[in-house]
Amino acid sequence: MSNTTPRDTGNPMNIEIDTRPLPIVILSRWWRFPVYLLLGWILYHSYFTPPPSGLSVEGFRSLVVFLICLILWVFHLLPLAITGLFALVAPPLMGVLSAKQAFSFFGSEPVFFILGVLILAAALLKSGLSSRIALFLLRQSGHSPKRLIFQILLTASLLSFIMSEHAVAAMMLPLVVVISKALEFVPKGGSYGRLLFLAMAWGCVVGGIATMLGGGRVPLAVGIMQEAGHTPITFIEWTLTVIPIVILLFFSAYLVLTRFFKIDVESVYEADRIISERVRELGRIRLEEQFLLVLTMGAILAWIFWGTKIGMATISILVVVLLFMFKVVDWKALEENVEWGIVLMYGGAIGLSSIVSSTGASRWLVETYVIPHITSPWMLIGLIAILTMVLTEAVSNSAVVAMLLPISLSFAGSFHLDPKVIVCLIASASGLNYTLPMSTPAIALAYSSRYLRVKEVVLAGLAMTSLSWIFLMLTAKFWWPILGIQIP
Amino acid sequence: MKSPLSQPLPAEGKESTNTGLLKLELIASGINLGEGLPSPLTNPFGLIHLILPEGVSVSVQQASDKQQTPFTLLHHGKRFFLNFSGKETPVQWVPPLKCYHKKTRSGILISDILTVHSGLIAVHPKGPCRFGLSGLACRYCGSSRELSNHPPFSKQDLIEAIQTVLKETSCDVVHLSSGHVETEDGGIVWLTPWVTEIRKHIDILISLDLAPPKSNSWIDQSYAMGVDAVYYDLGDFAPHQVTGNKKSEEDKKRYLETIEYAARIFPKGAVLSHLVIGLEPMGDTQKGIDLLVERGVVPLLVYFPPSPHSPLSERWKMKPEEVTPLYTHLFERLVQVKNTPHWVHQQDVLLTPLEGRFFSEKSAGFHLALKKFYETGFGRKVRRSMIGIRRRLRVKHHPAGYR
Repeated sequence: MSNTTPRDTGNPMNIEIDTRPLPIVILSRWWRFPVYLLLGWILYHSYFTPPPSGLSVEGFRSLVVFLICLILWVFHLLPLAITGLFALVAPPLMGVLSAKQAFSFFGSEPVFFILGVLILAAALLKSGLSSRIALFLLRQSGHSPKRLIFQILLTASLLSFIMSEHAVAAMMLPLVVVISKALEFVPKGGSYGRLLFLAMAWGCVVGGIATMLGGGRVPLAVGIMQEAGHTPITFIEWTLTVIPIVILLFFSAYLVLTRFFKIDVESVYEADRIISERVRELGRIRLEEQFLLVLTMGAILAWIFWGTKIGMATISILVVVLLFMFKVVDWKALEENVEWGIVLMYGGAIGLSSIVSSTGASRWLVETYVIPHITSPWMLIGLIAILTMVLTEAVSNSAVVAMLLPISLSFAGSFHLDPKVIVCLIASASGLNYTLPMSTPAIALAYSSRYLRVKEVVLAGLAMTSLSWIFLMLTAKFWWPILGIQIP
Repeated sequence: MKSPLSQPLPAEGKESTNTGLLKLELIASGINLGEGLPSPLTNPFGLIHLILPEGVSVSVQQASDKQQTPFTLLHHGKRFFLNFSGKETPVQWVPPLKCYHKKTRSGILISDILTVHSGLIAVHPKGPCRFGLSGLACRYCGSSRELSNHPPFSKQDLIEAIQTVLKETSCDVVHLSSGHVETEDGGIVWLTPWVTEIRKHIDILISLDLAPPKSNSWIDQSYAMGVDAVYYDLGDFAPHQVTGNKKSEEDKKRYLETIEYAARIFPKGAVLSHLVIGLEPMGDTQKGIDLLVERGVVPLLVYFPPSPHSPLSERWKMKPEEVTPLYTHLFERLVQVKNTPHWVHQQDVLLTPLEGRFFSEKSAGFHLALKKFYETGFGRKVRRSMIGIRRRLRVKHHPAGYR
């Protein structure tokens, strides 16, 4: 053999050989295929099956597609975005509506609003402005361990007001890792190390529901609402509706964290030193950052005052155009930092929920199976909130909105409820998850630090979930009527 | 083209000699040549390739002046016979491959790149293999301390050479040796580009001769990148011996950890280790066999004389009939622990574990049937597919930063 230079063989650590018995390996790797076949067979079989009484053929088929998408979303059989695409192509295949109609749902306003918000968040991340804001807020901790926890919680919350919570978590995680290392905490070591990461994650969760910019859930819910023929909630309306919950949960999170986890550190001087060092490294605020700050504030004001008049998506896309006009970001940076799959998922979810609602399938389902068992609107609200919170711990919160909202909106008419009640309830409850890593990227990132274990978070998480439900019910009872959202 | 192994032997003259023992004797003592044999009779490495009764393949050297051999190769018309003990046993002579004398496009002789051992293509290593370092001449690749200076060849040359061989005869495995290395990876990094190139162009099994690596992740790496079988040998070929030398003990410990782990990663029977026999008491070799078999490894018993100039030639005392119990023991132990004795199902310079059946009372029906199936074109495809599917199932690639 000639003496050629051996090529880089890659890091051998990135390969794992599954040494379990082959039948188990086959089952674990290919268990999805029989499920796909079963789902395909259900679709095929339902095509030739007459609908139950009171339900149209289109309604029955759209319900079957909806249930199959639920299974795909809940069990993560396919990536969320791919299920979203399937939700677009299945109805035309089943003869529920034409392909042209199905694909037109991708042109809906909420999809473009979400797209614009994601691009803005990517620009904030890429420019370093979000880091600057985070460090500015963290600088105020003053050597006190409790104060540092409060600052991390506050920083994560406030940043989640203006950018999606997963982007905030992704941005803050490296910073929290550096802080915990500076304080000489190791994964699975002291309790304060866990506290730092949970504060970051819970801050994102609590702040994420405050505005329409904290994640895709709210725009998705508004989109589904709009497609179902209801007047959509505006940017400011949403924030006013949920702000008491956010404030109450913010302080509750701080109390729960500091009660459930021991503060086993005297001083956080090292953390302060690192934060100051990072601030110094950033240097003076650059022109691009200044422009981006002005643009972000301008966009928020535009959404508040002109959102209804010129459209949320219009403002969103206009902001994106301005970003490129002034060369604040380039396309390559965006390609790497925007989760394009989410946009696909929302397009599919909005389309599917619209189909389920317009064919009368959701109404039929509610009237046949739910209404006979529900005796009052409050019972309904309480149950929806609990169901949403339980589901959102295990399933992506956007998927929970896509699953529950189309059906739940049908309750509104049956119980003479304002549709906004259902939308606010599901869109906010679906964002309130505190325990499991698969619930939301912010929690998943906190676990990825290896400082946390599920069993250590369960009790504190349960306490927060219970408080969230109580605050949600109290807000619905006493605050929403003041805003004109009546519950009979 | 049909493999010579699938061609029937002459029916008449059925002999009563134990074929396994006959192969051992031939390997040990070589062969004399009768009159009027065809030319060229040997391959470029001086080996005469014969097929003994029951389809057993052997490569024999012409006996030197020092060796006294009872065997003479004769031929009457188109038939070949082995004359020994006053009787003639029909055998089949396999003409040397014509492609040995061909050259690649860059002008390198194919015989400088590889040697074909009935179904196994042994690629000549860059330096002497660990076997060659022991003082013995490695009949796999022709390497020894006095390395025959093969000119360096490129990956393209190797691919061309293998493809040329496959046009002329059927082969299952390409065998590459890392040579003598003392690197962390055991030689896998050096061999990776070669393996990748073979995988890219040729549908064939690949086996590697490697040194035990410092960490098991290199074993995972070798399996994941497409290696189908590995040979891990110790320098002194005596895994069961404790020498008292601290470094040797450390090497031995690491060697045992390596083979044990590799046996969990690779398919059954695809982790092999050579054991030289005839240089130590039989009891010690048997301990070595047990030690390897218990760990899921298939030992390959190497029995042939060192070159007369080698210092080891003084120590080599065992006669073929004396070592047959080792082959019996190996075959029976493999069957007992349900390991696969037929990964190396044709090897002409040593007795395969499956050929231990010639000395055993135990039935080898299932393994023989499997061997025969794997020697058919369809069987080869099935075998490669099964091995490939297993890899697809077992290997998980994680993004950077995993673990």
